[in-house]
Amino acid sequence: MISTLASLFLKLSAFSLVAFGGINALLPALYDLSVNQEHWINTQTFADYFAIAQAAPGPNLMTVTLIGWNVGGILGAVIATIAIAWPSSIMIFFLQRTILNLRDKKKQQVIQYAAGALAVGLVLAAAWGIAVQINHSFAAHLLTIGTIAITFFTRWHPLYLIVIGGVLGVLGFI
Amino acid sequence: MSGFGGVLPWARRTIVEQEKWLTPEEFSAMLGICQIVPGPNIVNLAVCVGSRFAGVSGALAAVLGLTLGPVALVILLGMLYEHYSYMPMVQGMLRGISAVGVGLIASTGFKMMRSELNYPPMLVVILFTVLAASYFQLGLGWVVLMASPLAFFLARKKANR
Repeated sequence: MISTLASLFLKLSAFSLVAFGGINALLPALYDLSVNQEHWINTQTFADYFAIAQAAPGPNLMTVTLIGWNVGGILGAVIATIAIAWPSSIMIFFLQRTILNLRDKKKQQVIQYAAGALAVGLVLAAAWGIAVQINHSFAAHLLTIGTIAITFFTRWHPLYLIVIGGVLGVLGFI
Repeated sequence: MSGFGGVLPWARRTIVEQEKWLTPEEFSAMLGICQIVPGPNIVNLAVCVGSRFAGVSGALAAVLGLTLGPVALVILLGMLYEHYSYMPMVQGMLRGISAVGVGLIASTGFKMMRSELNYPPMLVVILFTVLAASYFQLGLGWVVLMASPLAFFLARKKANR
C-alpha cells in the first residue's frame, strides 16, 4: 500500500512539470500510467472518472483526485492532488515575477509564444488520444464533434453541453 | 465550488470585477503565464494571485481554498459512483458526458490555436507535437523536449517580425 502511494506520488509529481497546457494535456499520459502501466483502473473507470470530473464543479484536475481515491482512499486522493500540483506551483511561484518583470519585453514574448505553441499541440493531441480511448460508438464520436461545432458557433455555457450529453446518454443514444 | 465547467471565468469575475484585486491587464498577463507554464492552470493562477498579496502563505491559502471543497465533493461523487455504476442509466449518462468533455477539450485547443494563425510557421510546432504525441505515441516529457528547440527558434522569429 505504502509503495503504491509512493509510486502514485512520484509519478504524478513528475507529470506536473511537463504538463504544458495543464491537466487536459496530461490526460493521455495519465491514462497510460493508471490503465496500461500500473493497472490501477480499467478503461471504463478512467472514462467514467473523467466524466465525473468534467461534470463536477471545480478545477479539471479532479480526474487525478479520483484516480488517487481509487488507489488509496481519501489519503490517496489527497496525495494525488498534492502530487500533481506542488512541483508546478513552486516553479510558478518563482517564475512569475521573473517573467512579468522582464525588462526585455521581447524575451517575455518569445517565452510566451514558444510555450503557447507547445500547449496548443499537447492539448489537441490529448483530445485526440482520449477520444480514441473513451468514445466507443459512432454516436459518441458524433457527440464530440457536435460539441466542438457548437462551441465554435455559439457562446453556450459548457454546463449546458454537459447536461445535453448526460441526457442523451441516459436515453441510450451514446 | 461554483466553478461549473471550469473555474476560470468565475475566477476572473471575482478577482477583477467584484473584488478589484487586479486590473484586467494584470489578470490577463498573469493568466497568460499560468496557462503556458506546465501544471494545472488554475492552481498556478491561485499561486500567482495569492502570492501577490501574502507571499507563500497567500499562495497556500489560495490553493487550499480553491481545491478543498471540490476535492471533498468529488470524493463523495466517487463513492456514489461505486454504488450506482452498475446501472445502465448511470453508465449511459457518463458516456454522454465524457464524449462532450472530450469535445470541450478539443475546442479549447482550437481556440488557443487561433492566436497562432497570425504566424503560420508556428503551426509546424503544433503539427509536430500532435504527431509525436498521437501517431508516434511518445511520452509527454519526450515530446516537450523534442519540440522545444523548434518552438523557441520560431518564437524568436515571431517576436522579431
